[in-house]
Amino acid sequence: MPAFYLIVITLGAFYLGYRFYSRYLAERVYALDPNFKTPSHEFSDGVDFVPTNKHILLGHHFTAVAGAAPIVGPAIAVYWGWLPAIAWVILGTIFGAGVHDFGAIVTSARNRGQNIGTLSGKVISARASTLFLLIIFFLLTLVNAVFGVVMAILFEAHPGSVIPAVIVIPIAMCIGQWVYRMKGAVLIPSIIGLILLYAAIPIGQMYPIHVDGLAHLVGLSVRTTWVILIFAYTWFASRLPVWLLLQPRDYINGQQLLVALAVIFAGVIVGWDQITAPAVNHVAEGTRQWFPYLFITIACGAISGFHSLVASGTTSKQIDKETDARYIGYCGALGEGSLALAAILACTAGLGSAADWNTAYSSFGAASGGALGHFVNGVGHFLANLGIDAQLGASFAVVVVVTFAGTTMDTGVRLQRYILEEIAELAGFRALVGKTTILTTLAVLIPLALALVPGGNGAGGKGFAFGQLWTLFGTTNQLTAGLALSVISVWVMSRNRNPLAAIVPLTFLLFMTSWALVLNLVSFLKEGSWMLLIMDAGIAVLTAWLIVEAVTALNRQRGERRAEVPSEA
Amino acid sequence: MSIGTGHRLILVREQDAQHSGSGCCGRLGEAHTDLGGAADYAHSRAVMESVGMVYRRLRDAAPGLVIDVVDPRNTIWLYPAVWRASRRAGRGVGASLKSLSRAGAAAAIVLDGEVLYSGALPAPETIVAAVMAQLHDSRAA
Repeated sequence: MPAFYLIVITLGAFYLGYRFYSRYLAERVYALDPNFKTPSHEFSDGVDFVPTNKHILLGHHFTAVAGAAPIVGPAIAVYWGWLPAIAWVILGTIFGAGVHDFGAIVTSARNRGQNIGTLSGKVISARASTLFLLIIFFLLTLVNAVFGVVMAILFEAHPGSVIPAVIVIPIAMCIGQWVYRMKGAVLIPSIIGLILLYAAIPIGQMYPIHVDGLAHLVGLSVRTTWVILIFAYTWFASRLPVWLLLQPRDYINGQQLLVALAVIFAGVIVGWDQITAPAVNHVAEGTRQWFPYLFITIACGAISGFHSLVASGTTSKQIDKETDARYIGYCGALGEGSLALAAILACTAGLGSAADWNTAYSSFGAASGGALGHFVNGVGHFLANLGIDAQLGASFAVVVVVTFAGTTMDTGVRLQRYILEEIAELAGFRALVGKTTILTTLAVLIPLALALVPGGNGAGGKGFAFGQLWTLFGTTNQLTAGLALSVISVWVMSRNRNPLAAIVPLTFLLFMTSWALVLNLVSFLKEGSWMLLIMDAGIAVLTAWLIVEAVTALNRQRGERRAEVPSEA
Repeated sequence: MSIGTGHRLILVREQDAQHSGSGCCGRLGEAHTDLGGAADYAHSRAVMESVGMVYRRLRDAAPGLVIDVVDPRNTIWLYPAVWRASRRAGRGVGASLKSLSRAGAAAAIVLDGEVLYSGALPAPETIVAAVMAQLHDSRAA
């Protein structure tokens, strides 16, 4: 089947989802009121609360939620075939992410623009705030671990991409100086930065950077050496002022995202590539099956709990009219689904013949360990359709992923530092509070230890447990979504509306998450993977806790409804 | 007709949602600053608050004026909007291109496609006075 048909089918389904299902949500579930005074008007201050045109706000919301994660999950999940992957992206986006992102904006807007952490404490129970903090701790640990491995895998497989990926740092620092110190405009410098970055790609091809010598010297594998170097970089980067590196990097990332999406879709259309992956890949008994693993492998791109943090943290404070939440929340989710579609296209139509695909996806270990490599090669193929050398195209894709992953780690380590400080304060370890160096070191060492857990299907059996880590990340992300959907469900019930639209994805996610966690526990126990076992057990406890909190809150709300005490938020 | 009717002001400044870059996996929204990240972004916050003062004063002084607050990273909306407004106001291609090049700064004030300030902003009252003067001039014309 031509890959273009998949674009038409997916975007067509997204259109129908927006046209009909989001209207149902707006009118029947969330009961949007165009006359409701939104927080942006009630607390209008021009700073946090600003009534904002819906097209502008969609731009802010989408660039805040779009990133590298919707690429990695689908690139692994096509292991079970393109059909389950695209079906979950379509259904998850329309019936999960759309409900979740849209609902998080509305619920927050109806509660004075409070964020989902505060709301969970208010709507579910006071304990839920602690639960939220712990889920975020696990989530950030896993984010940092998986992105560290992602970058190491790509640098090892594509040493030609190291120079352009490193060049981003001085370019971003120059832009930072120009924008924040010299107060210059950013359009031309960021375009020049992007051109310099792309100009560095052929230079990187000419001078590939290998760390084999260093690895040999310290007695580690190349990949382990890269992981350690990347985390060392992150330690320093997260200590720098944000204006110097982190913020200006985002000016480049935003433009890269648009360029990457444009070239992928243009490459598919121009090349008229066929999908060579099987619709359903029947994997061997006793190995990871798509039920339930598909639903935690693709989190971002189908439904991501992280979106509720953006939706309730900032977007809800800026919606002009409550009815705008439909366009912004639902279309933001569809945009993220489109990124997942691009990743699926690259990994099912960009890898060559069916035999090539079967080799690339011969096992779950090969699929997960090689996922980013498959995506990168697929994008290289699409760029070749546009007349650009495939190797250069692959390097371009590596640079896109690495710049996103690097910025994510920089932010993730910073956030983890704050959370560790918060947890230390809650736990009474006052000695840690304010100790930035110790907290940063802990924020680096915890995910580093996790990133170096052996397993998977690497060369000589020395790969990392990347696939397992990724699914644990997906599980935690779905838990965050579960927490947000619980808040949304209770709020919808409190308005005497039918909450099924939120309860169905909530139940589905918690069921799949619990199932996968139990399977993982058994598997880690058999393998003796103690670190993964502890992590999995910790997440399982949080899941059980969340289920108890959600059921209790929903029952309490149902009791209030029966007692006929309707309350308008 | 109230002052500012038919005119559009774009206040360009960074937003909390865009601060930490890299997509949703590195963002905690408002929870981020609750947890202690506020100091990291104090420089951006200072600009946000300064532009916020301009916003509030102009909203009161020119009720007919359409005011949009936009992050400079929102390229898909910002640059076409500045270009359209500049051309609609009758400026030539060269002047409109110049507006484009100056509009995307960490802070900028753009009235009807013309960039009044870019980068280092003066005191809010100076900006308000400049915008009001422009609006009165165009009314008189």
